[in-house]
Amino acid sequence: MVMAANQGEPHISTTGRYLDQEKVRNALDLATTYGASYAEVRLVSFTQSSVAMRDGILERAIPGQELGLTLRILADGAWGVHSTTDIASLPEQIESTTRLAKAVASRRADGEKPIGLAEIPVFEDEQHWKSKLDVRHTELDTKMDLMNDFYKGASQHKHVVSVTTGWSDEHIHTELMTSEGMDRAWSFQRSLVHGMVTARDDAEVVSYRTRTGGQGGLELIQGVDLTELGEQAQTAALRLLTAERAPSGKMPLIADNDLTGVYIHEALGHPCEADLVAAGDSCLAGKLGEKIGNDIVTVVDDPTLMGGYGAYPIDDEGVNTREKVLIKNGVLTEYLNHRETAHHFGMEPNGGARAQDGLHHPLVRMSNTMIQGGSHADLDELMEDVEYGIYACGTRGGQVDTGRGSFQFAAQEAWLIENGELTRPLKDVSVSGMTLEILKNVDGLARDASLATPGFCGKGQTVPVGDGGPVMRIREALVG
Amino acid sequence: MIMLPDGAQDRLLANAQRIVDACSSIGVQQWDLVGFQSYGHELDIEAGKITMAGGGGEGGFGIRVVEDGRFGFAHLVDVSGAERAVQQALSIARKSPSIANFVLPSEQAATKVGGMCDTNILNLGPEDLLEQADALLSAVKSADERAIVTGGGVGVSATASCLLNSEGILESGLTTSHGLGVQVTIDNDGKMTSSYQGDSSRTKMVDVPDCVELAVDWAVRTQHPIEVEPGASDAPVLMTSEGFSPLFSMVVPPAMMGEKLVRKESFWTGKMNQNVMSEDLSIVDNGLLEGGFSSGSRDGEGVPKRKQSLVESGRLVNMLWSTRDAAQQVAEGRIDVAQSTGSAVSRGHQSPPSTGASELMMTSAKGSRTFDQMLEQMGDGYVVNSVMGAHTANPTSGDFSVTTSSILRVVGGEIIGPLKQAGLSGNLAKALAGNVVLGDDVRRQGSYSSGSMHLPDVLLMEGLRVNPA
Repeated sequence: MVMAANQGEPHISTTGRYLDQEKVRNALDLATTYGASYAEVRLVSFTQSSVAMRDGILERAIPGQELGLTLRILADGAWGVHSTTDIASLPEQIESTTRLAKAVASRRADGEKPIGLAEIPVFEDEQHWKSKLDVRHTELDTKMDLMNDFYKGASQHKHVVSVTTGWSDEHIHTELMTSEGMDRAWSFQRSLVHGMVTARDDAEVVSYRTRTGGQGGLELIQGVDLTELGEQAQTAALRLLTAERAPSGKMPLIADNDLTGVYIHEALGHPCEADLVAAGDSCLAGKLGEKIGNDIVTVVDDPTLMGGYGAYPIDDEGVNTREKVLIKNGVLTEYLNHRETAHHFGMEPNGGARAQDGLHHPLVRMSNTMIQGGSHADLDELMEDVEYGIYACGTRGGQVDTGRGSFQFAAQEAWLIENGELTRPLKDVSVSGMTLEILKNVDGLARDASLATPGFCGKGQTVPVGDGGPVMRIREALVG
Repeated sequence: MIMLPDGAQDRLLANAQRIVDACSSIGVQQWDLVGFQSYGHELDIEAGKITMAGGGGEGGFGIRVVEDGRFGFAHLVDVSGAERAVQQALSIARKSPSIANFVLPSEQAATKVGGMCDTNILNLGPEDLLEQADALLSAVKSADERAIVTGGGVGVSATASCLLNSEGILESGLTTSHGLGVQVTIDNDGKMTSSYQGDSSRTKMVDVPDCVELAVDWAVRTQHPIEVEPGASDAPVLMTSEGFSPLFSMVVPPAMMGEKLVRKESFWTGKMNQNVMSEDLSIVDNGLLEGGFSSGSRDGEGVPKRKQSLVESGRLVNMLWSTRDAAQQVAEGRIDVAQSTGSAVSRGHQSPPSTGASELMMTSAKGSRTFDQMLEQMGDGYVVNSVMGAHTANPTSGDFSVTTSSILRVVGGEIIGPLKQAGLSGNLAKALAGNVVLGDDVRRQGSYSSGSMHLPDVLLMEGLRVNPA
């Protein structure tokens, strides 16, 4: 049994720790006895709540608690992993998981590099990012009232056929213990409200989605005027009803900060993930120190950006987080790393290890990714020189083929730019391109950069991310 | 059995009973409960080698309570918190609106569906998977010496599950699965091409499946892109089953859901018993498919599943309902009569059942064509094998605008070479209502937004626009 004594709440102790530290230490020692060069136990508890309303009426509210644990063992330069919700079974898995790692290692070809881990400082501490208003104490009625504010703003129009709103919050508590002596616990919270307005006029049906939230508690949502957000969503949905299909072809594109964020996430962030680079699946392999973008492009990934949906205090290997500058003035300066890739490339781990939950092992992931602001005053100044192009806003998501370096992202709505002016509203705008071409085509950035709407990133595992930037102009992009 | 701990199913049911007991002690009017516990082994492959071997098990329970037509739900892993979870669900139910005549289904005889569990999988251990991964890596190398598996893996799992409710339904069983996927990349002087293919089965896959060779084939085929005239144009597009299914899954299944249809959120709203697709096309949802990934005896609410026509000779003839959606839409006056079609989908223990398709199959009365016959019929156009951004398609309108780097130019029925990249846009509902030709090789495709799909290659002669980069 590796759980701390039960004190009422399922599995939680008076110390606030789920794991019985002494028993876990013994289990980790056992792993080294069996021949592990490194072993870790990471437990994650999610206390979650989600609410869905349609047209101001509660559809469902789901509270829940998920608990999972992953044992990761490095032996003979290969990984063995065991993930389980059956926490008590951990000690029984030490020997078999070490054996598994050794079986993988035995298949390594001659000359093939064994997996190693970059050195990191060892900590025994706790870091808890407290929310002003803890999500675990937020009543359902409070959530419904706030969600109804969005509904009130979004619903009052004859063409609006439905308004759905969703709420999601979670308290994430992680404990990590390693054979190197690391013993860290950390916790933080995330809150999110999303809304979708569906409008119809005869056969034309459109929907517009919006989100707000980030790392933090109820205070984040209370700080947003949800009625105004609903009104904006309604206005956008009605505009889409009369919008034309976007023209197809290569043309100048100006993206708002939301779409800029998705662009930089897909086009640059993913190829910068060092596990993809090491696997031979990134177009940025071997390009560190090379000029890959216009001088004005500087990109950072920063999990310490409090409030961002991708913020976290410590990465899932126990590494302290920091800002990573991926591109500085157009030059590729840093990959996102976890301990394994940092060792592989002879770099320092930079806090990029993230796992979806306690049942998944850490991968290299983004956090809050942003292009920094430039020298243009605003959208108007960026449009001045555009004879015929597109201004695209909001995101419906994106995707990337990191190996080829090709990407796609879709806007929620757009306008045609003609002779420096916004003219007609457009819909169904998607933009695609090649990473190594389009970064050089960024030729204008507004001064003010900020994180945009919260997002989710899938890479086999789904994690929350933030992204954003300034309003950005791309000289030539493939639209449609 | 190597994979499954002794008594796994019994333990699941015993834990479920603790939640049932909590419902009884609290005095819940009606309840239903789903429980899952899965066990498995998996291997990760990166950079042409096995990088990690893993295993383990995960599971949990979802409890739904119903009181006077109001429902609440909670999920949990640790059943020591059963009473708390039931209280939470009940408290939510009491804040929820009442749906007239919404009661949980009672026991009805259900058809047993075979092929869901293969004891050969239960007997697989990590060593077996390592051998299979070795064979997979060898198959890629022998298909093309330059090809590297840059990502992917192999996995097997066994899942014990149970579904029971206060009205006498008790269903429990064991399912198995065996899956693999490979991302194959070829680096040709710094210009990389890649392709992802995967396959899965409820039964043990003894040999390296064809998809592995297909992944290498598409990585090879898309090398050395040709120059084409810039500018977008309308053109016929032959979409392989792999290229077509992500768009199909985003757009078509939601359009057939009863709730979407009566709420006017489907592009097929108001078109019941009218032609919505080409007259030779039919879509069937076979919830009883042997060995299906989304089929089974009962749906997520315990209602017996069935095989049902949704589109028949181009006409929309049926829609998908769960018990709750049907009751709600009738109660709210959007439709006079609706009842469950056995289409409640349980997407795990963390959410209550919702409406969805099981095993969708699209067929043509005109029969099917070989790939070469379809190229010949197309004349000038494109072949598309995968798309990026299918999840950005608009399910309420059918409009989509995606990108592909896995596209071949076809002139006079002959493939003349790949394009580096192209945009592909159109309206899938309209394209399916036009001239459509189906291929003769139906392949099962998984989905992130609906059940499984059994789709051949599809030639869409009208309604698509291609925009070469």
